Amino acid sequence: MQNQLQDLARRLLAEKKVDVVIGYGLSGNGRVGAFFATDEGQCDKLVWNEHCTQNLVVYLTRPEVKKLGRAAIVVKGCDARALVVLANEGQLQREEVIAIGMVCAGVVDEGGQRCAKCEICTSRAPANVDEVIGDPASVPAGPASAEERFAGGKYVKLEKLRAMPRAERFAWWKKELSRCVRCSACRQVCPLCYCKVCVADKNRPVRIETSATPSANFAWNILRAFHLAGRCVGCGACTAACPAGIDLDLLNLTLAQTAETEFGAVSGTVPGALPLIGSFSQEDKEDFIQ
Amino acid sequence: MSQVISLADIRRLAADFAQSGIVAAPLPTDSGKVFYQKVAAEEVQNIVLDGSLKCVNSIKEFLFPRHEVLYTFLRKGNDVELTDAPVFDTPQLILGCRPCESASLPILDPVFAWDFNDRFFQSRRAMTTVVSIACQKADSDCFCTDVGGSPENTSGADAILYPLDGDRFEVRLLTEKGKVLFAGKTTESSDVGHACEGPKATLDTAKITRWLNSHFNDPLWSELAHQCVGCGACTSVCPTCHCFDIVDEGSYQKGRRVKNWDYCQSALFTLHASGHNPRPDQGARQRQRITHKFAIYPEKFGAILCTGCGNCSRLCSAALGIKPALEKISSEAAEDLMPVPPLWVRNTQDK
Ligand code: SF4
Ligand code: SF4
Ligand code: SF4
Ligand code: SF4
Repeated sequence: MQNQLQDLARRLLAEKKVDVVIGYGLSGNGRVGAFFATDEGQCDKLVWNEHCTQNLVVYLTRPEVKKLGRAAIVVKGCDARALVVLANEGQLQREEVIAIGMVCAGVVDEGGQRCAKCEICTSRAPANVDEVIGDPASVPAGPASAEERFAGGKYVKLEKLRAMPRAERFAWWKKELSRCVRCSACRQVCPLCYCKVCVADKNRPVRIETSATPSANFAWNILRAFHLAGRCVGCGACTAACPAGIDLDLLNLTLAQTAETEFGAVSGTVPGALPLIGSFSQEDKEDFIQ
Repeated sequence: MSQVISLADIRRLAADFAQSGIVAAPLPTDSGKVFYQKVAAEEVQNIVLDGSLKCVNSIKEFLFPRHEVLYTFLRKGNDVELTDAPVFDTPQLILGCRPCESASLPILDPVFAWDFNDRFFQSRRAMTTVVSIACQKADSDCFCTDVGGSPENTSGADAILYPLDGDRFEVRLLTEKGKVLFAGKTTESSDVGHACEGPKATLDTAKITRWLNSHFNDPLWSELAHQCVGCGACTSVCPTCHCFDIVDEGSYQKGRRVKNWDYCQSALFTLHASGHNPRPDQGARQRQRITHKFAIYPEKFGAILCTGCGNCSRLCSAALGIKPALEKISSEAAEDLMPVPPLWVRNTQDK
């Protein structure tokens, strides 16, 4: 697959279809992270393996990267869903980006452990991409129903959390969020946190204090989760980046689970879909909206 | 003759200390990652004393907290009443940190005692005893030996532990504080502990400094600008990063002035009220972090502002952090031996 990817990248650059291929490369310390191939000669540095955990879609809205010109981007199935959300929300012209979807057998985290998100994944064969590398038939389709995904013993941490009595769950979050240092790394690495001015950065007046106190930490993390409700694609970028080791995925997935079970909405799977939070339907069960 | 203590006795010592003081030591979170955390007396069993362990965060939190109240204010008619935050006076024990963590403390001392004596840092420093543990395993992100450290660097530590077999440790007492802490707690032995072999040193930091001083504008910065997403995670886990922001919180009538960690990788760090940002892109921010550590700080305070702990690289989602950047600089610097212009010239160029 890596060779196929390199060939494709070379071709796209040679034919001047794109100015940059955003993919994965090997860093000096042996870790795998973003690599920007801007000419054919660099394409042999593109890698594909189970360490390609980072969600590169975040780079598409970075001003420094936009300056490079038209981009092709290497995405896994989960990352490709973020691309759909960005396009649905008017953050990019989908046809201006070439998405190279990698058929994915799962990735590992910083410590070499298989990521929890891969256990419940239904997008190993990437959808809504322009090129597919790998054989989609070679990977399992994943759990068929939301039930199986969220309550089938696959995302153990999430299930454990949801099974806790309310008060216990609250205490657990209090303890976890108390470690937050208010660095905003979770926001910076999130492909869907693209606001030019984040509400957390507003200081005239201050909406959320910048202090890492229990109340401000709660305000910040709950606010971010709300802003991602029905939008988070579960790529796990925030959890991986958090210097406080907070399982932010659990916060966002709780909402994703609700979005799916209550509204049948799975973020980033339907191009052109209206955002769950920003739309309503006659069929909504709350009467106040009718 | 060496001094030896058992793991059980170290736990007991920590539990005793926690009765009237603060103990900070490696403790796993629910997700299994290990952080330097405050340990309650009943939690000492969970402390991880392991020379191969790399905690995610750094010990700096206990000397330079991420959030600290400087003083409170209360408006009374036309008057304002100011109340200083109490001086930190609780004995504190940092137990089982890596040598590259303790080494950050003497590096940080001068910046908190330069044009202003920062009593917040200084009081914590005075109240703190640091017991490090000699490394038993370096990983691919470690580079202490490149910046003058080693797996048994004693800098900043009051005592250092060397793991022995059978859950025992050799203790080397380095300062008065260390001797007081372990007084009567160790037994004499002929067992001697060892540290692992350090990571192989490959970087020439003098060359890096020279390169930084003469490459304010360089394509490398834009290369890093693409890769780095400005998340600041590297600065928050860095034992030597020490930037903070001072803000007022509360209401017009009543509130507090606080000191919070700030992150040079964030766009907000240097944003002026006018909207102008002297560090307009991520390249400028990366240049700042690296130049501060390898050129500015050494010039001003005589020490590299990096202990080679690798915390930044271990965490960086973009596989960056400082070491990969230093390696890139290093390979460029090899071909480039421009002499360093004097400071006054550097201050006027690149305008
Ligand atoms: S969630 Fe699916 S597509 Fe994403 S990395 Fe895991 S297996 Fe691959
Ligand atoms: S990344 Fe973690 S520590 Fe940083 S602001 Fe987000 S939750 Fe807090
Ligand atoms: S170097 Fe890595 S950890 Fe540091 S700000 Fe950039 S992306 Fe974040
Ligand atoms: S810059 Fe990185 S390696 Fe150096 S002290 Fe900071 S965290 Fe450690």
